[in-house]
Amino acid sequence: MARKKNPGSKLSRREFLALVGTGTSVMAGAGFLTAKFSRRPVEQLIPYVVPPEDYIPGVAAYYNTVCNLCPAGCGITVRIREGRAKKIEGNPAHPVSQGGTCALGQSGLQVLYNPDRLQTPVTRRGERGTGDFHTVGWNSALTTVASHLDKLRLANRGAGVGLLTGDIRGHLDDLLIQFLGLMGSGRYLQYAFTNPTNLYSANAASFDTAQLPYYDIANSDFLLSFGADFLGMWVSPVSYSRAYGDFRQGRREGEDKGPRRQRGQLVQIEPRMSLTGANADIWVPAVPGTEGALALGIAHIIAGGAGRFAAALAEFDPPRVAEISGVEASTIERLARSFGDAKAPLAIGGGGAAAGTNGVPNLVAINLLNHLAGNIGREGGVVFNPKPAFGRTGMQRHGSYLDLLAFVEEIADVDDGVLIIAGTNPLYDFPGDERLVRALQRIPLVVGLSSFMDETMQYADIVLPVNSYLEGWGDDAPEPGVGMRVASISQPVVAPLYDTMDVGDVFIRLAQRMDRDMQRAMPWPDFHAYLRNAWRRMYDKRRDKLDYVDFDAFWTAVLEAGVWGETRRASQRNEFHAQVDYEPPVHAGNDVDYPWYFQPFVSQGFFDGRGANLPWQQELPDPMTSIVYGSWIELNPRTANELGVDEGDILEVSSPAGSLRAPVWITQGIRPDTVAMPIGQGHTSFGRYATGRGANPLSILSAQVDSRTGAFAWGATRVNLTPTGERIRFVKTGGWSRTLDRQILGPRSGETQEGGDHG
Amino acid sequence: MSLIKDLFTNWSVWRRPGYFESFDYSWGMVIDLDRCTGCEACVVACTAENNLPIVGEKRFSENREIKWIRIERYWSGEYPNAKLSFIPMLCQHCDQAPCEIACPVSATYHNQDGLNTQIYNRCIGTRTCAVYCPYEVRFFNWFSYTWDAPLEQQLNPDVTVREKGVMEKCTFCIQRIREAKDHAKDDGRRRLREGDIQPACAQACPTKAIVFGDRNDPDSQVAQMASDARGYTVLKELNTSPSIVYLRRVDQEHV
Ligand code: SF4
Repeated sequence: MARKKNPGSKLSRREFLALVGTGTSVMAGAGFLTAKFSRRPVEQLIPYVVPPEDYIPGVAAYYNTVCNLCPAGCGITVRIREGRAKKIEGNPAHPVSQGGTCALGQSGLQVLYNPDRLQTPVTRRGERGTGDFHTVGWNSALTTVASHLDKLRLANRGAGVGLLTGDIRGHLDDLLIQFLGLMGSGRYLQYAFTNPTNLYSANAASFDTAQLPYYDIANSDFLLSFGADFLGMWVSPVSYSRAYGDFRQGRREGEDKGPRRQRGQLVQIEPRMSLTGANADIWVPAVPGTEGALALGIAHIIAGGAGRFAAALAEFDPPRVAEISGVEASTIERLARSFGDAKAPLAIGGGGAAAGTNGVPNLVAINLLNHLAGNIGREGGVVFNPKPAFGRTGMQRHGSYLDLLAFVEEIADVDDGVLIIAGTNPLYDFPGDERLVRALQRIPLVVGLSSFMDETMQYADIVLPVNSYLEGWGDDAPEPGVGMRVASISQPVVAPLYDTMDVGDVFIRLAQRMDRDMQRAMPWPDFHAYLRNAWRRMYDKRRDKLDYVDFDAFWTAVLEAGVWGETRRASQRNEFHAQVDYEPPVHAGNDVDYPWYFQPFVSQGFFDGRGANLPWQQELPDPMTSIVYGSWIELNPRTANELGVDEGDILEVSSPAGSLRAPVWITQGIRPDTVAMPIGQGHTSFGRYATGRGANPLSILSAQVDSRTGAFAWGATRVNLTPTGERIRFVKTGGWSRTLDRQILGPRSGETQEGGDHG
Repeated sequence: MSLIKDLFTNWSVWRRPGYFESFDYSWGMVIDLDRCTGCEACVVACTAENNLPIVGEKRFSENREIKWIRIERYWSGEYPNAKLSFIPMLCQHCDQAPCEIACPVSATYHNQDGLNTQIYNRCIGTRTCAVYCPYEVRFFNWFSYTWDAPLEQQLNPDVTVREKGVMEKCTFCIQRIREAKDHAKDDGRRRLREGDIQPACAQACPTKAIVFGDRNDPDSQVAQMASDARGYTVLKELNTSPSIVYLRRVDQEHV
């Protein structure tokens, strides 16, 4: 559904809140839609059927859809001119993005127009992994897969068919479950190493919920973040960045009048300074993996030896915690005092704190701080979302690293196993672990659904090209969302560039090529029809509460607004169910042969590596270093001194699991006993912009896991560093990184600006 | 001697501060560094909106990248008390712009909206303006860049693709200003309203650190925010009268 004005003409935060209701509960179950976007007369709508319809030369059309470059699920608005996508903006009416986007989200256009997109189905000709494929038609590709599946199903051996995907939410998830169910298989797993598996588990243990929490940063006044790079690419970057802006400036954007709340203070605890660390008032470099001890130390002081947790906390006095975490006792006391005194203190755990072998106990300890502060369900605290409008939560959908291994190995063990892989690239974001590749090699038929020939697709027998997210249909209930029930529909903003189809359509077409029962069970002409049907059911359930003449009007309005939701919030009690204790982290490699902690981090430009084939992201200077087009390893100046290396010197980085080479970047923002590397480069097969560039730190990680969840512990490996004698010059944006007392960052507090005789 | 002395005493008269207040609009920006996190969303947004080239690794290593807006980073202190501060840097659209007096062919000039504009087909590529610019936000096209097909389908038809030999820089998204004026005219409005226009960087900014508007309108958000106690202009000692006011990041080291 097109609109003719740039939605940048903004919907203010206040208007938005007026629409969704400000507080805990407005009208239970009342739908919200932005009046602004739905009130337009119907005759002005241009339903998107084929491209010529929005082809009005010189006039832009705007379509709302959903970004799927990370699991946050931001609502976006795409500007179309002459049938081509020109620009992505945040959808101002969408509660997650609120009109903003992140850097990666902006680059979605280069996913669509990427020169390396897979344009037709291909089948493997050479050995697996050699990249030797040849082109086939859709018909033959689908028939091959369908007849294989059909044979298995009729022989009652459909249970050997497995489906491995990235983060797939909404009704597509239901469709896939149904398809596998008809096959007689329950093998369906979603995996990405960035999945917050430990966070789900810790919250289930602490607060008895299967939801991701929404941290109400905007209304907090003291934020204690343990490793969560929420201004980087953690969980929901745009939403949290927006909240951060409000948190800092006390008054929400657009609210020019009214009392200014106190500026929120941010403390970031992490061994390597992330983007969030750079923005913190205090950066506390603790020993990797000891965040839980710090949280318990702070809880110990706050609880003051009283209450239910007194016994559990007894031994976490400041001197002991200081010894474990490497943070001075006085700092711990100061943080505890500030946390205890704040009106709305908030603790968040993520990133490295959750990526050790002790991720869950660390997060439970951090949760305890929120419990002690009475934060659960409170404004400025931790809000758990109501059950999503549809679909399963991530906790139900996601599998851990161990689950994935077992999953693939089981399929390899059955005769005639089939593995269908869609939208995930485990051969890139897996540690240096041969087990996965070996299992994949044993599976007789691997079918890939992808837009790019990435590392995993190299091992497929048949690869089916799917639509980019800007060309297909879908819907989404964002997680964690914003504490309310939100749902959005994604619609094609341009016609597919190539001969590609939606993931949902692939499965519907497969069913149509199988036996009668399959055809009858999946009767929809296409995925769009399936989606409309599903929304019709939702509409029918709420018909009385919704103010639309019929379903079509509702559907059109949701498409046009890009979002639909309910303002009801779930009620939560501040109850804490878990036992707290500190568990020391276990790192692969002893500290003699491998003297440094190795901390890979999710990079701003590439997220988990999926952004590396986008030239805009390759040319995007890293926020902390301004480096483009490459990898680096971050060293404290002391470490560099010890090794006798300087910026650009290439080091051999070796762990018990493998080794790689990377140039040195010297930074003040890292502990001397820790080295860090960005994740995202080092692709062996991902198009012309990414392949063969830099190194992949995940490839040298040992296969460490959290013992409770089996989640990949990507912060739990130690490394050794050896200078190679070679060096490179970094490609980066220029400039001095010191102000040299020039008036660049402004006068210090309390001073006014000097200089200049007018202006 | 006395002539030169006169010149110096009368300098500000010749520079006529406040001259641009007499025009219809005086577009300006306020960037709140206490909100800005350095996430670089604005950088990609600008690249997408304004057809900035992908220069490639080799050209980038020769410092020939073109980024109308960039995030500068300044470190202070040492581990463990190291601090990093970010500041988005883009054309400041100075009312007393050093680049404008430098251009021998007047390819860069001030328009009646208070914008420092660049006329690409007048530019002869002397690069003097870039030398004069203290903010280093002018970029020269050393090459004519191309896009790997079909990436060129994304190019914004409202913005010229620049060729080898011309200088370019931030325009405050002049194409959006034009479009908004056109829409206003269609709606029978003589003046643009607050919020009618956002440049690409401001629109993308997830923390809403960048605010854009008409400094001539005393009720506009930019006009009001510019008088904030934290407000300052970068390199004020150079007397360039920038159109961008920054709000200092708050130092709050003592928690
Ligand atoms: S945060 Fe995620 S969903 Fe939102 S714009 Fe960025 S990549 Fe897209």
